[in-house]
Amino acid sequence: MRQPGAYSGLRISGKTGPHSLPLARIKKIMKNSSDEVKMISGEAPIVFSKASELFIEELTKRAWMMTLQAKRRTLHKEDVVSAVIKTDIFDFLVNLVSENSGKSEDPQPVMEA
Amino acid sequence: MAGKQKPKPNPDQDYRAPQREMAEAEKETAVTDKVVGDAEELPKAIVRRLVKDKLSQLSSDSEISVFREALEAFSDSARIFVHYLSATANDICKESKRQTINAEDVFKALEEIEFSDYVGPLRASLEGFRQKNGGKRSLSSKAKEINKKGKKKDLPSGSGSQNKDDENESNKEDNAD
Repeated sequence: MRQPGAYSGLRISGKTGPHSLPLARIKKIMKNSSDEVKMISGEAPIVFSKASELFIEELTKRAWMMTLQAKRRTLHKEDVVSAVIKTDIFDFLVNLVSENSGKSEDPQPVMEA
Repeated sequence: MAGKQKPKPNPDQDYRAPQREMAEAEKETAVTDKVVGDAEELPKAIVRRLVKDKLSQLSSDSEISVFREALEAFSDSARIFVHYLSATANDICKESKRQTINAEDVFKALEEIEFSDYVGPLRASLEGFRQKNGGKRSLSSKAKEINKKGKKKDLPSGSGSQNKDDENESNKEDNAD
Protein backbone atom coordinates (compact mmCIF):
# COMPACT_ATOMS: atom_id res chain seq x y z
CA MET A 1 0.00 0.00 0.00
CA ARG A 2 2.68 2.45 0.94
CA GLN A 3 4.72 3.67 -1.94
CA PRO A 4 7.94 5.59 -1.63
CA GLY A 5 6.63 7.98 -4.21
CA ALA A 6 4.15 9.33 -1.72
CA TYR A 7 6.94 10.57 0.48
CA SER A 8 9.06 11.96 -2.31
CA GLY A 9 6.07 14.07 -3.23
CA LEU A 10 6.56 15.97 -0.02
CA ARG A 11 9.82 17.38 -1.23
CA ILE A 12 8.53 18.18 -4.65
CA SER A 13 5.62 20.30 -3.49
CA GLY A 14 6.92 23.68 -2.61
CA LYS A 15 4.01 24.51 -0.36
CA THR A 16 5.33 23.00 2.82
CA GLY A 17 8.56 24.50 4.05
CA PRO A 18 11.32 22.43 5.61
CA HIS A 19 9.75 22.84 9.05
CA SER A 20 6.09 23.59 8.70
CA LEU A 21 5.19 22.89 12.28
CA PRO A 22 6.69 25.42 14.68
CA LEU A 23 9.60 23.89 16.49
CA ALA A 24 8.98 25.86 19.67
CA ARG A 25 5.44 24.53 19.91
CA ILE A 26 6.66 20.99 19.39
CA LYS A 27 9.23 21.44 22.12
CA LYS A 28 6.48 22.54 24.49
CA ILE A 29 4.39 19.50 23.69
CA MET A 30 7.39 17.26 24.17
CA LYS A 31 8.12 18.75 27.56
CA ASN A 32 4.50 18.48 28.56
CA SER A 33 4.44 14.81 27.69
CA SER A 34 6.42 13.93 30.74
CA ASP A 35 8.15 15.64 33.64
CA GLU A 36 11.13 13.48 32.90
CA VAL A 37 11.74 15.07 29.53
CA LYS A 38 14.16 17.80 30.40
CA MET A 39 16.63 18.43 27.64
CA ILE A 40 16.04 18.14 23.94
CA SER A 41 18.69 18.48 21.27
CA GLY A 42 18.28 21.03 18.53
CA GLU A 43 17.61 18.40 15.90
CA ALA A 44 14.96 16.41 17.75
CA PRO A 45 12.10 18.89 17.18
CA ILE A 46 12.96 18.90 13.48
CA VAL A 47 12.53 15.17 13.29
CA PHE A 48 9.34 15.44 15.34
CA SER A 49 7.98 18.10 13.04
CA LYS A 50 8.49 15.98 9.96
CA ALA A 51 7.28 12.84 11.72
CA SER A 52 4.10 14.64 12.74
CA GLU A 53 3.55 15.72 9.16
CA LEU A 54 3.90 12.17 7.94
CA PHE A 55 1.62 10.96 10.69
CA ILE A 56 -1.08 13.49 9.88
CA GLU A 57 -0.86 12.61 6.21
CA GLU A 58 -1.14 8.90 6.90
CA LEU A 59 -4.10 9.44 9.19
CA THR A 60 -5.66 11.64 6.53
CA LYS A 61 -5.25 8.98 3.90
CA ARG A 62 -6.79 6.29 6.03
CA ALA A 63 -9.67 8.51 7.14
CA TRP A 64 -10.29 9.46 3.53
CA MET A 65 -10.61 5.78 2.67
CA MET A 66 -13.35 5.56 5.28
CA THR A 67 -15.06 8.56 3.70
CA LEU A 68 -14.92 6.86 0.33
CA GLN A 69 -16.40 3.67 1.72
CA ALA A 70 -19.28 5.66 3.14
CA LYS A 71 -19.65 7.32 -0.30
CA ARG A 72 -19.44 10.79 1.16
CA ARG A 73 -17.48 13.85 0.12
CA THR A 74 -17.05 15.34 3.53
CA LEU A 75 -14.53 13.85 5.88
CA HIS A 76 -16.20 13.43 9.24
CA LYS A 77 -14.66 12.82 12.62
CA GLU A 78 -16.11 9.32 12.59
CA ASP A 79 -13.90 8.60 9.58
CA VAL A 80 -10.87 9.50 11.66
CA VAL A 81 -12.19 7.31 14.47
CA SER A 82 -12.73 4.38 12.11
CA ALA A 83 -9.24 4.79 10.68
CA VAL A 84 -7.74 4.74 14.17
CA ILE A 85 -9.64 1.64 15.18
CA LYS A 86 -8.80 -0.21 12.01
CA THR A 87 -5.09 0.58 12.06
CA ASP A 88 -3.01 -1.47 14.40
CA ILE A 89 -0.21 1.03 14.91
CA PHE A 90 -2.69 3.73 15.86
CA ASP A 91 -3.62 1.87 19.02
CA PHE A 92 -2.19 4.65 21.14
CA LEU A 93 -4.98 6.86 19.83
CA VAL A 94 -7.74 4.49 20.84
CA ASN A 95 -8.15 6.17 24.19
CA LEU A 96 -8.65 9.50 22.52
CA VAL A 97 -11.37 8.33 20.21
CA SER A 98 -13.09 6.11 22.73
CA GLU A 99 -13.45 9.01 25.14
CA ASN A 100 -15.09 11.10 22.47
CA SER A 101 -17.32 8.42 21.07
CA GLY A 102 -18.26 7.07 24.47
CA LYS A 103 -18.18 3.54 23.22
CA SER A 104 -16.38 0.83 25.14
CA GLU A 105 -16.35 -1.83 22.46
CA ASP A 106 -13.51 -4.26 22.30
CA PRO A 107 -11.18 -3.45 19.45
CA GLN A 108 -11.84 -5.71 16.53
CA PRO A 109 -8.98 -7.85 15.32
CA VAL A 110 -7.33 -5.75 12.69
CA MET A 111 -5.37 -6.79 9.67
CA GLU A 112 -1.76 -5.85 9.41
CA ALA A 113 -1.32 -2.29 8.34
CA MET B 1 2.09 36.15 30.73
CA ALA B 2 -0.90 36.78 28.54
CA GLY B 3 -0.09 38.55 25.33
CA LYS B 4 -2.99 39.43 23.18
CA GLN B 5 -6.21 38.21 24.64
CA LYS B 6 -9.05 38.90 22.33
CA PRO B 7 -12.46 38.71 23.96
CA LYS B 8 -14.61 35.90 22.73
CA PRO B 9 -17.17 37.08 20.19
CA ASN B 10 -20.48 37.73 21.82
CA PRO B 11 -23.30 36.13 19.83
CA ASP B 12 -25.61 38.90 20.93
CA GLN B 13 -23.49 41.48 19.23
CA ASP B 14 -23.32 39.51 16.04
CA TYR B 15 -25.24 41.31 13.36
CA ARG B 16 -25.65 38.27 11.14
CA ALA B 17 -28.67 36.01 10.99
CA PRO B 18 -29.16 34.13 14.25
CA GLN B 19 -29.02 30.78 12.47
CA ARG B 20 -25.58 31.56 11.13
CA GLU B 21 -24.24 33.41 14.11
CA MET B 22 -23.14 30.26 15.86
CA ALA B 23 -21.21 29.07 12.82
CA GLU B 24 -19.71 32.51 12.33
CA ALA B 25 -18.86 32.79 15.98
CA GLU B 26 -17.18 29.45 15.81
CA LYS B 27 -15.25 30.54 12.76
CA GLU B 28 -14.16 33.70 14.51
CA THR B 29 -13.05 31.77 17.55
CA ALA B 30 -11.15 29.47 15.24
CA VAL B 31 -9.33 32.48 13.83
CA THR B 32 -8.57 33.88 17.27
CA ASP B 33 -7.43 30.47 18.37
CA LYS B 34 -4.82 30.65 15.71
CA VAL B 35 -3.50 33.86 17.20
CA VAL B 36 -3.88 33.17 20.91
CA GLY B 37 -3.53 29.46 20.51
CA ASP B 38 -3.28 26.67 22.99
CA ALA B 39 0.36 26.29 23.86
CA GLU B 40 0.04 22.54 23.82
CA GLU B 41 -1.61 22.20 20.45
CA LEU B 42 -0.28 22.39 16.95
CA PRO B 43 -1.40 25.38 14.87
CA LYS B 44 -4.75 24.54 13.35
CA ALA B 45 -3.95 26.33 10.13
CA ILE B 46 -0.96 24.14 9.48
CA VAL B 47 -2.84 20.98 10.36
CA ARG B 48 -5.63 22.03 8.02
CA ARG B 49 -3.16 22.69 5.23
CA LEU B 50 -1.49 19.32 5.69
CA VAL B 51 -4.83 17.53 5.59
CA LYS B 52 -6.10 19.52 2.59
CA ASP B 53 -2.90 19.03 0.62
CA LYS B 54 -2.98 15.32 1.23
CA LEU B 55 -6.61 15.07 0.23
CA SER B 56 -5.97 16.98 -2.99
CA GLN B 57 -3.18 14.52 -3.73
CA LEU B 58 -5.46 11.57 -3.08
CA SER B 59 -8.52 12.76 -4.96
CA SER B 60 -7.51 15.04 -7.78
CA ASP B 61 -10.88 14.85 -9.47
CA SER B 62 -13.26 15.59 -6.63
CA GLU B 63 -12.78 17.95 -3.78
CA ILE B 64 -13.17 16.50 -0.35
CA SER B 65 -14.14 18.91 2.38
CA VAL B 66 -13.27 18.38 5.98
CA PHE B 67 -15.53 18.89 8.96
CA ARG B 68 -14.10 21.15 11.62
CA GLU B 69 -14.48 18.44 14.23
CA ALA B 70 -12.42 16.12 12.07
CA LEU B 71 -9.64 18.71 11.87
CA GLU B 72 -9.61 18.90 15.64
CA ALA B 73 -9.34 15.13 15.73
CA PHE B 74 -6.31 15.33 13.42
CA SER B 75 -4.73 17.97 15.60
CA ASP B 76 -5.37 16.06 18.81
CA SER B 77 -4.07 12.85 17.25
CA ALA B 78 -0.86 14.55 16.19
CA ARG B 79 -0.41 16.01 19.65
CA ILE B 80 -0.81 12.59 21.24
CA PHE B 81 1.58 11.19 18.66
CA VAL B 82 4.20 13.70 19.76
CA HIS B 83 3.52 12.85 23.41
CA TYR B 84 3.84 9.14 22.76
CA LEU B 85 6.95 9.49 20.64
CA SER B 86 8.53 11.85 23.17
CA ALA B 87 7.95 9.49 26.06
CA THR B 88 9.38 6.58 24.07
CA ALA B 89 12.39 8.58 22.94
CA ASN B 90 12.93 9.74 26.50
CA ASP B 91 12.97 6.16 27.75
CA ILE B 92 15.52 5.24 25.11
CA CYS B 93 17.60 8.25 26.04
CA LYS B 94 17.56 7.31 29.71
CA GLU B 95 18.61 3.77 28.89
CA SER B 96 21.69 5.24 27.28
CA LYS B 97 22.23 7.25 30.47
CA ARG B 98 21.99 10.56 28.70
CA GLN B 99 19.83 13.51 29.54
CA THR B 100 19.39 15.07 26.13
CA ILE B 101 17.07 13.52 23.60
CA ASN B 102 18.80 13.52 20.23
CA ALA B 103 17.70 12.58 16.75
CA GLU B 104 18.89 8.99 17.05
CA ASP B 105 16.70 8.48 20.10
CA VAL B 106 13.75 9.65 18.06
CA PHE B 107 14.57 7.25 15.23
CA LYS B 108 14.80 4.35 17.62
CA ALA B 109 11.55 5.41 19.23
CA LEU B 110 9.85 5.44 15.84
CA GLU B 111 10.93 1.88 15.26
CA GLU B 112 9.76 0.96 18.73
CA ILE B 113 6.25 2.22 18.11
CA GLU B 114 6.15 0.50 14.72
CA PHE B 115 6.53 3.61 12.62
CA SER B 116 9.78 2.38 11.18
CA ASP B 117 8.60 3.29 7.68
CA TYR B 118 9.09 6.91 8.61
CA VAL B 119 12.73 6.53 9.58
CA GLY B 120 14.10 6.53 6.05
CA PRO B 121 12.41 9.72 4.83
CA LEU B 122 13.08 11.41 8.15
CA ARG B 123 16.76 10.63 8.02
CA ALA B 124 16.94 12.02 4.51
CA SER B 125 15.10 15.14 5.60
CA LEU B 126 17.39 15.61 8.55
CA GLU B 127 20.47 15.14 6.40
CA GLY B 128 19.19 17.76 4.02
CA PHE B 129 18.72 20.15 6.91
CA ARG B 130 22.19 19.42 8.24
CA GLN B 131 23.75 20.07 4.87
CA LYS B 132 21.90 23.34 4.57
CA ASN B 133 23.20 24.48 7.92
CA GLY B 134 26.67 23.08 7.52
CA GLY B 135 28.15 25.46 10.06
CA LYS B 136 26.08 24.15 12.94
CA ARG B 137 27.86 23.54 16.21
CA SER B 138 26.37 20.10 16.66
CA LEU B 139 27.59 19.04 13.26
CA SER B 140 31.10 20.32 13.85
CA SER B 141 31.24 18.72 17.27
CA LYS B 142 30.13 15.41 15.79
CA ALA B 143 32.76 15.74 13.10
CA LYS B 144 35.37 16.23 15.78
CA GLU B 145 34.17 13.11 17.54
CA ILE B 146 34.44 11.12 14.35
CA ASN B 147 37.97 12.38 13.75
CA LYS B 148 38.95 11.48 17.26
CA LYS B 149 37.48 8.01 17.08
CA GLY B 150 38.68 6.37 13.95
CA LYS B 151 40.06 8.26 11.07
CA LYS B 152 43.70 8.61 11.90
CA LYS B 153 44.47 7.40 8.41
CA ASP B 154 43.34 10.68 6.96
CA LEU B 155 46.34 12.93 6.92
CA PRO B 156 46.01 16.68 7.14
CA SER B 157 45.00 18.39 3.95
CA GLY B 158 48.56 19.49 3.18
CA SER B 159 49.89 16.09 2.23
CA GLY B 160 46.69 15.21 0.48
CA SER B 161 46.89 18.22 -1.73
CA GLN B 162 50.44 17.42 -2.56
CA ASN B 163 49.36 14.11 -3.95
CA LYS B 164 46.77 15.79 -6.03
CA ASP B 165 49.25 18.30 -7.30
CA ASP B 166 51.52 15.50 -8.40
CA GLU B 167 48.68 14.00 -10.35
CA ASN B 168 47.90 17.29 -11.94
CA GLU B 169 51.49 17.78 -12.93
CA SER B 170 51.60 14.37 -14.50
CA ASN B 171 48.46 15.16 -16.43
CA LYS B 172 49.91 18.37 -17.60
CA GLU B 173 52.94 16.59 -18.81
CA ASP B 174 50.75 14.20 -20.74
CA ASN B 175 48.84 17.04 -22.29
CA ALA B 176 52.02 18.76 -23.21
CA ASP B 177 53.05 15.77 -25.30
